[in-house]
Amino acid sequence: MREITRRSFIKLTGAGAVVATHSISTFDFAHAAAPRPLPAGTPILVVVTLNGGNDGLNTVVPYLDPIYKSSRPQLAYNEDQVLPIGDGLALNGSMAGFKSLWDNKQLAIVRGVGYPNPDRSHFSSMAIWQSASLTPIKTGWIGRWIETQPKNPFLAISFGTTLPALFLGNKRSGSVLPIGGLQVPKGRVANDIKRSSKMTKSDGRLSASAARSMRDLFTVADTVGPILRNPAPPAADLPTVIGGNAGGESNLSSQFEVVAKLIAANVPTRVWSVSLGGFDTHANELSAQSALLGTVSYSISKFMSQMRAIGRSKDVAVMVYSEFGRRVRANASDGTDHGTSGPVFLIGERVVGGFYGEQPPLNQLKADDLSVTTDFRSVYGSVLESVLATPVDKVISGWNDRLAIFKA
Amino acid sequence: MSTEERIANARLVHRISFGPKPGQFRKMMKQGFKVSAKQLLTSGQPDYGDVKTAIGIADLGREPKPNSPSLSSYAVAKRAQLRNMSLWWLDQMVDQDFPFVERMTWFWHGHWATSFAKVDEPVVMFDHIAKLRKHAIGDFSQMCEEMVMDGGLIFWLDGQLNTARSPNENLSRELLELFTLGVNQYSETDVKEAAKALAGLKVVKNSGLVSKDARRSFVGATTVLGETNYFEPVTLARYLSLKPACQSFIPARLMYRFVSAATFEGGDLMMAHGKQKLSARLVKSAFATRQILPTMKVLVMSPAFQGLANSQVKSPVEWLVAVLRALRIVPSRYWNPDYFLKLLENLGQRPYFPPSVGGWPADEAWLSVASSQTLIDAAQTLARDGDTSPIAKIAKRERPDALADWLGVAEWSKRTLIAFEDALSNPARLTALAICSPEYLVSI
Repeated sequence: MREITRRSFIKLTGAGAVVATHSISTFDFAHAAAPRPLPAGTPILVVVTLNGGNDGLNTVVPYLDPIYKSSRPQLAYNEDQVLPIGDGLALNGSMAGFKSLWDNKQLAIVRGVGYPNPDRSHFSSMAIWQSASLTPIKTGWIGRWIETQPKNPFLAISFGTTLPALFLGNKRSGSVLPIGGLQVPKGRVANDIKRSSKMTKSDGRLSASAARSMRDLFTVADTVGPILRNPAPPAADLPTVIGGNAGGESNLSSQFEVVAKLIAANVPTRVWSVSLGGFDTHANELSAQSALLGTVSYSISKFMSQMRAIGRSKDVAVMVYSEFGRRVRANASDGTDHGTSGPVFLIGERVVGGFYGEQPPLNQLKADDLSVTTDFRSVYGSVLESVLATPVDKVISGWNDRLAIFKA
Repeated sequence: MSTEERIANARLVHRISFGPKPGQFRKMMKQGFKVSAKQLLTSGQPDYGDVKTAIGIADLGREPKPNSPSLSSYAVAKRAQLRNMSLWWLDQMVDQDFPFVERMTWFWHGHWATSFAKVDEPVVMFDHIAKLRKHAIGDFSQMCEEMVMDGGLIFWLDGQLNTARSPNENLSRELLELFTLGVNQYSETDVKEAAKALAGLKVVKNSGLVSKDARRSFVGATTVLGETNYFEPVTLARYLSLKPACQSFIPARLMYRFVSAATFEGGDLMMAHGKQKLSARLVKSAFATRQILPTMKVLVMSPAFQGLANSQVKSPVEWLVAVLRALRIVPSRYWNPDYFLKLLENLGQRPYFPPSVGGWPADEAWLSVASSQTLIDAAQTLARDGDTSPIAKIAKRERPDALADWLGVAEWSKRTLIAFEDALSNPARLTALAICSPEYLVSI
């Protein structure tokens, strides 16, 4: 494994560097086995998972389509409740942040995204999205990408307590950080654990993973701990919406806050995974979904504004997806049941803003459900090649399609 | 004593029980795997008496309106009940010599994964688990019948919103996919038809009382998996539990949790090979009767259960309970019982709060920088506060072996033995190190 030197890090984050302007002193790093910082201009991907199956029709709303209104009268939005973006479509009224990203041509909306023979099970469908495989396999698409890269415990980071399937590789996986920050064990305890978690040939697969998760704590915590105690980068140019920004503080915004701090400190992370649950709106959908979408829209536009403030906005691309869309027809509980395709969002300055893929026509439903007009692997294809600089078929075997979402 | 015998006994005590109490592992080694297995599996459970009265679990009534003066006492009472029932369950896991029935109840909690996060009523959640406990090693069909009429499960999956006129498929789909048949063992039409049979259920939220409203129910026959019948929720549940797909699916779930998550991922028994496949077949044929105890007996005695390849990462509850058993710390009698609830929350596995209807993940999902930090911290605290006399009384150079027997570890790796060297004179430090070692985090 490449030895990360502290000197190289200090050199790159020295006078005039972003880190210094955000009051992370080099002193903190001098006491840490700091990794090589991420060079400016390196593309960074943030994957946002909306858990539960987001209702695409009330996210990118076909508000002019009479079938939309007649299929879900109690759930349909009127023109004055949504944010029109052309093509007879509008963003959910809570997504003011996304609307301004759209107006600035920094938001790509891929319509009707899914895969052949949609599976309405949360678990199977999420497994398909996270593995990028229609047949069950254990690894995630980011996990397989991780294995094409040099070893680096910072390479891909998610938040919470458990490792997402997205990050699982065969031999190496991504890292997980607790939202509350990390405390490095010190002194005797640290010594003991470092010795008991040494690599050894006699370890089986899981024992090796257990040892690695202990070892990685020291590398990751030494670097991340001090950064997390610092203030987040400013979001000075974040447009304020009249009546306040919908969404506000939430678990998702805390995750983005941590991502922003760590990117500002030049942590060598290429992929971040954040998530938000609660989209399984079988009942009382309107208020619940619009609050969640408000959070998504606000967190991401604030994050992009922070990236502009630290000069990383050209590097960052955000992708937002959910495991499936929902039924066109509402159910009796003012909600919707599990459906098929839905929109995927890509955000960033290197994104060519606009619509991609066909909007699934409401007068041509398949067994009462939206058709799939874009295969999700084509979205991954463009992300892999344009953001992660990796040929798509190295990660998704046998797949070669991609959309031209990013500027060359 | 052979390593194989140590591995087999370590598996038995960590997977089918919750880890050894002091002295138990050595006794198991002396009497052999078969005798130990029989003892554990036939131990039954203590007579709990009227638990609800004893720990104060009761219907809280309807939630007071926002801003009403009784709201805060209502919230305090709810929190206290949840705390009491959480500690009571952990106590049972920790305190019983042979907590096999609790181990199975814990398994079924992950299977019918219903969360307090939505149910939000202590008594309803307690009753839900009590029903699982009642059938934990009994008849799976009866468990299904009871579950489909359980207020907690129905509310969790919006079953009370499912009416004939306007169906809500949530409960129906999960009943087919996650509880009885497994994914791809049914069609979308089956989901819709089963939803009709389940239509009209009503739940009183605060008591969990379930009834069926004839006006909202579907009138007529429904066709599920090829059979047309006047299905009611209970007859549907029994019918599904007796389908051939269920005879494969439940054994696959048992093999997944008790043998190898890596091999039995996806609920497909036939994906296994060799010894695994043979064992899967044995377990499947034992489940022909839908009796859980005999099925578990066959699983434990099967070659795959003792086979060397099938490691599993201990989940946070498994790790914590095993540590508490060894250190003789009974959660409710600890100086700060809330510590355990917070700890399990931080580790991502609090009883009564599965993350989704799919239950908790397995293996690598529990291994992260985040959990390492929490585990190391907890290990220091628990080793300091617990009873380390099983090694404190022993001569220093014999401590590593004594530690392995005490904790039920088959064998320490060389690097862990080297790490022990500096800590031999300090029992608490040695214990903390041992319970954070890869050999303890993983059930080899």
